[in-house]
Amino acid sequence: MFQPVKPSQWLVIAAAILVMAAVPLVTRNSYLLHVLILTMIFGIFASAWNLVAGFGGMKTFGHHAFFGIGAYVSALLSIKAGWSPWLTIWFGALAATGAGLFIGLPILRIKSMSHVAIVTLGFAEIVRIVISNLQTITRGELGLWGIRPFEGFTLPFFGEITFSPADKVPYYYLILLLLIGSTAVIMLLMRSRTGLSIIAMRDAEDAAESLGVNLTRQKLLVFAVSAFLVGIAGAFYAHYISILTPTAAVGIDLMILVIAMALVGGLSTFSGPLVGALLLTGTVELLRDLDQYRLLVYGAMIILIVMFLPKGLTTLGPVLRKRFASR
Amino acid sequence: MQNPTPATPLLKVDGITMAFGGIVAVDNLSFSVQPGEILALMGPNGAGKTTTFHVIAGVHSPDHGTITFDGHEITRARPDRRCRAGLARTFQITQPFDELTVVENVMVGAIAHHRSMAEARVEARRYVDMVGLSERADILAKGLSTGQRKRLEMARAMATRPKLLLLDEVTGGVDMASVPGLIDLVKRLRGEGLTLIIIEHNMRVITELADRAIFMNRGVRMAEGTPAEIARHPEVIELYLGEDDGHG
Ligand SMILES: Nc1ncnc2c1ncn2[C@@H]1O[C@H](COP(=O)(O)OP(=O)(O)OP(=O)(O)O)[C@@H](O)[C@H]1O
Ligand SMILES: [Mg+2]
Repeated sequence: MFQPVKPSQWLVIAAAILVMAAVPLVTRNSYLLHVLILTMIFGIFASAWNLVAGFGGMKTFGHHAFFGIGAYVSALLSIKAGWSPWLTIWFGALAATGAGLFIGLPILRIKSMSHVAIVTLGFAEIVRIVISNLQTITRGELGLWGIRPFEGFTLPFFGEITFSPADKVPYYYLILLLLIGSTAVIMLLMRSRTGLSIIAMRDAEDAAESLGVNLTRQKLLVFAVSAFLVGIAGAFYAHYISILTPTAAVGIDLMILVIAMALVGGLSTFSGPLVGALLLTGTVELLRDLDQYRLLVYGAMIILIVMFLPKGLTTLGPVLRKRFASR
Repeated sequence: MQNPTPATPLLKVDGITMAFGGIVAVDNLSFSVQPGEILALMGPNGAGKTTTFHVIAGVHSPDHGTITFDGHEITRARPDRRCRAGLARTFQITQPFDELTVVENVMVGAIAHHRSMAEARVEARRYVDMVGLSERADILAKGLSTGQRKRLEMARAMATRPKLLLLDEVTGGVDMASVPGLIDLVKRLRGEGLTLIIIEHNMRVITELADRAIFMNRGVRMAEGTPAEIARHPEVIELYLGEDDGHG
């Protein structure tokens, strides 16, 4: 991971970006674009969770709190204060970062991972309940609607860009940019001394500390970056979907889905959470025809992948190669 | 020492006591180490040697007593602060970073002194070579044998550029053939000005390396002197009685 990026890896990255960027040029099918937009929102979320839980080894199960905080703070600022969503999404992300530091500090001292899981899960549940109960501001489960879309602008050569439910293409490119940015941030961070330090910390905490790693600082740093990225994904989601309920934006289902994505794709890899997000968001939609059997098939698929590819789908290639080589 | 005035010790351990529940692992222990010296800590299993290292390195805060390193009291300082002050240690139960390569393991120790990761990698490789792990440099640390893990511990600690290095049974589990190499390595480190405390069971290693030895049992210092003097101590003789020279 800390070696220079190989040309072949650059090629894969460039190809993936090109393919994603080309989709709206090939089809403007709004349903397909919607699924891909959700995929990219989840891609950011799952990658950011993987930063803390995979690379950092801190088993936090409360990241949906940051998604909800990002979403609600950005939505409310744009509604109540009348600010532009272009501005409020950053405030949403900063609010999520603040929450990340707030919950990050106490869990740093907890060595037992199951306790970390419970504390963070409890924290997210508190956030959900607070948002539910602040009905005068958030309208609770009735839903916060009428969230402003991003303002349009004129782009040289492309003309007028408008964000509206009718045209998903601008949203598509915006979330693609956010996804590329988030992935770049995560990769740069992981390839820096912080990345080296947090993997060391995950594998042997006492040894890392004895070699001069400031555990508190490094853990808080990755926690804050992770919360920021999840917050920005949540904020984008708010202005894209334009209606928020505590269940949809801060529900535990969200966290479970994201964990499944990271596990299915491959924990502690850069591409795993992205592959997992694509696969699971995609299958949820493909399986709609199966109606009530949908969740059954879905669950079975996750179990099979985790059983046969414990390190995720990204290891499929090497595993297959080994299988055939040993014949 | 050519200097007529006695040198100030690099490390001063003053009356430390460390208990776990009912077990007093270290009991009112005091000693000091002069710059450039190699001190050996000896004693039977459970004597409190590793616990003494843990207290010096900051894994545990002692119940009583103080630790002064390089003129500063560090009794309650965090382990990473002590490392940056120039105190490094190896773990008896090795703690490799499994998912990092051997060189990357050593880089963790080296990054404090380098702006760029590339520079840290170059320096890390030097230490990997020094401990004889060159051929394994790019494999994941989880693939190392016990003896190789011990040497990785040393390389990592050395990469922090310490003034004082604590080695906890680095010859334990290492095949006999590589012990002379480790002895040479420690001699070379001392030649570069390093001060060391070594926990050792192997009497031959102690005799070859240590200027002074402390024999402890049940957390208490029982004897102190040159390795030759210590070797004549009744408890030491009893400990090694009927055993070969190379007890490990
Ligand atoms: N974290 C701990 N909790 C409880 N008891 C401990 C702990 N660490 C050490 N002890 C106890 O303290 C005593 C001293 O242990 P220590 O590891 O310091 O011995 P040692 O001299 O290094 O022995 P060895 O030669 O076997 O490595 C032992 O009785 C041990 O069981
Ligand atoms: Mg020991």
